[in-house]
Amino acid sequence: MKTQIKPAAVGALGIAGALLLWQFVATGPMNGSALPTPGHAIAELAALLTTGTFWANLADTILIALGGLAISAVAGVAAGLLIGSFGPVRYATMAVLEFLKPIPPIVVLPLVVLVLGPTAQMSWVLVVIGCALPIVMQTVAGVHDTDPVARDTARSYGMGHAEILLRVTLPGAMPFIGTAMRVAAPAALVVAVVAGLLGGGPGLGQSIYQAQAAGDFPVLYALVLVLGLLGLVFQGATRLAERRLLHWHESYREVVL
Amino acid sequence: MKRKALNWSLGIATPVLLVAAWWAASANSMNTFFPPLSAIMIRFRQLWLFDHFGSDILLSLRNLLLGYAVATVAGVVIGFVTALVPVARWALDPVIHFLRGIPPVALVPIFISLIGFGIEMRVASIALAALFPTLIATVDGIRSVDTTLKDVSSVYRLTRGEKLAQVYLPAAGPQIASGMQVSLQVAFIVMIASEMLGSSEGIGAMTLLAQQSFMIPDMWAGILLLGVIGFGANLVFELLKNRILAWHAGSRRLANS
Repeated sequence: MKTQIKPAAVGALGIAGALLLWQFVATGPMNGSALPTPGHAIAELAALLTTGTFWANLADTILIALGGLAISAVAGVAAGLLIGSFGPVRYATMAVLEFLKPIPPIVVLPLVVLVLGPTAQMSWVLVVIGCALPIVMQTVAGVHDTDPVARDTARSYGMGHAEILLRVTLPGAMPFIGTAMRVAAPAALVVAVVAGLLGGGPGLGQSIYQAQAAGDFPVLYALVLVLGLLGLVFQGATRLAERRLLHWHESYREVVL
Repeated sequence: MKRKALNWSLGIATPVLLVAAWWAASANSMNTFFPPLSAIMIRFRQLWLFDHFGSDILLSLRNLLLGYAVATVAGVVIGFVTALVPVARWALDPVIHFLRGIPPVALVPIFISLIGFGIEMRVASIALAALFPTLIATVDGIRSVDTTLKDVSSVYRLTRGEKLAQVYLPAAGPQIASGMQVSLQVAFIVMIASEMLGSSEGIGAMTLLAQQSFMIPDMWAGILLLGVIGFGANLVFELLKNRILAWHAGSRRLANS
């Protein structure tokens, strides 16, 4: 019990220390610059929470991130199952996918903004571009990793190709897909913010851009604080969902000795 | 054997075919958004080889490398301290996790508000954003060092320095390397974002300016260059990593056989 309290207490001290440091820097060496005091930023945050536009922007960002993530998941898993099930297709696409994988969606942002304009569709497309590829590649790896004995057993029980795909291969690939989703969920949020900040799409990214352009620095800091909390929520939620949804798989089962 | 050769040729032929198809399909393109690939390549050569090579390409890459170097060194050092000193870990853990939840690109407006649009802003944004993946991977890597290893190094009375350099660092090496790879991707994204947000030099700025002034082939040339850099940076990292961690792959192979 005691060992639990101590880290938490020191952690709270750490947060308090960080806030104190911020206060010191804002009033001391950087007094009069763009850096607001933490009290000022938090007061601004409280004021933001009472405005309707803030909540509308927050909803936009979350909707774009989750919607884009959902599209990426469905399309990515479907494409991954297809590519992974046929050897020649896998070899044909491998070099292309490996080339595209390390290229972040921000690279094609100018093109997408050019074609679609600063709209919500533009943000959706960017999120899908950013999230779909890793999901496809992880699904392909998962399909490749499926236990061949399980597949052969299913075949000797007379299951058809489609049934094997859905009931053996897909569940077998699930941990890979779960890992991909855990990485993709925070990335979706980042891309949704980037699309607003650099491309002018709706949401918190756009609010940040406006606050910075208008020189409204306490609002800028308040918005970044909100994004930090939102990022934590996204990470926590995906980890929890992964554990809940995949508890049956052997790599997640608790070992009973 | 024949099948393997077929697969390999498929892997090589598909990218070539795709580029050829792009070239042929866009050859007489009148669509403003999708100009002929030949026109893009001409602008690519005119812009990047070597008109803007020194003024923009080298500038971007120097910012990237400088920020990344600061981030990885600081990440490993802070990671070691955080992992090995319990009080530091308890105090810093909540703060680190909050800061890493912030989308890295959202740090750019903060630095613009503090230190303006100059090169220092770009390097500082890259360094802070790229810090967290390496830092967190280092902490995790050291925390998961085998207890037997720790006990053995105590029994042999290794000094603190020997333990750090010869036991902890190699044992956590593979994990630190994965963190550094993520850091590199983040650094690349923030490099582009820091140039797109109100700078007039660098590859990202040139690409976005080309888009805003409807110089479409120039924009495409910028996108191609950024894509090649993103891919190339990752490739160089992979090659170095495989070289440095060759002992790790070898010992894994031994353990598996």
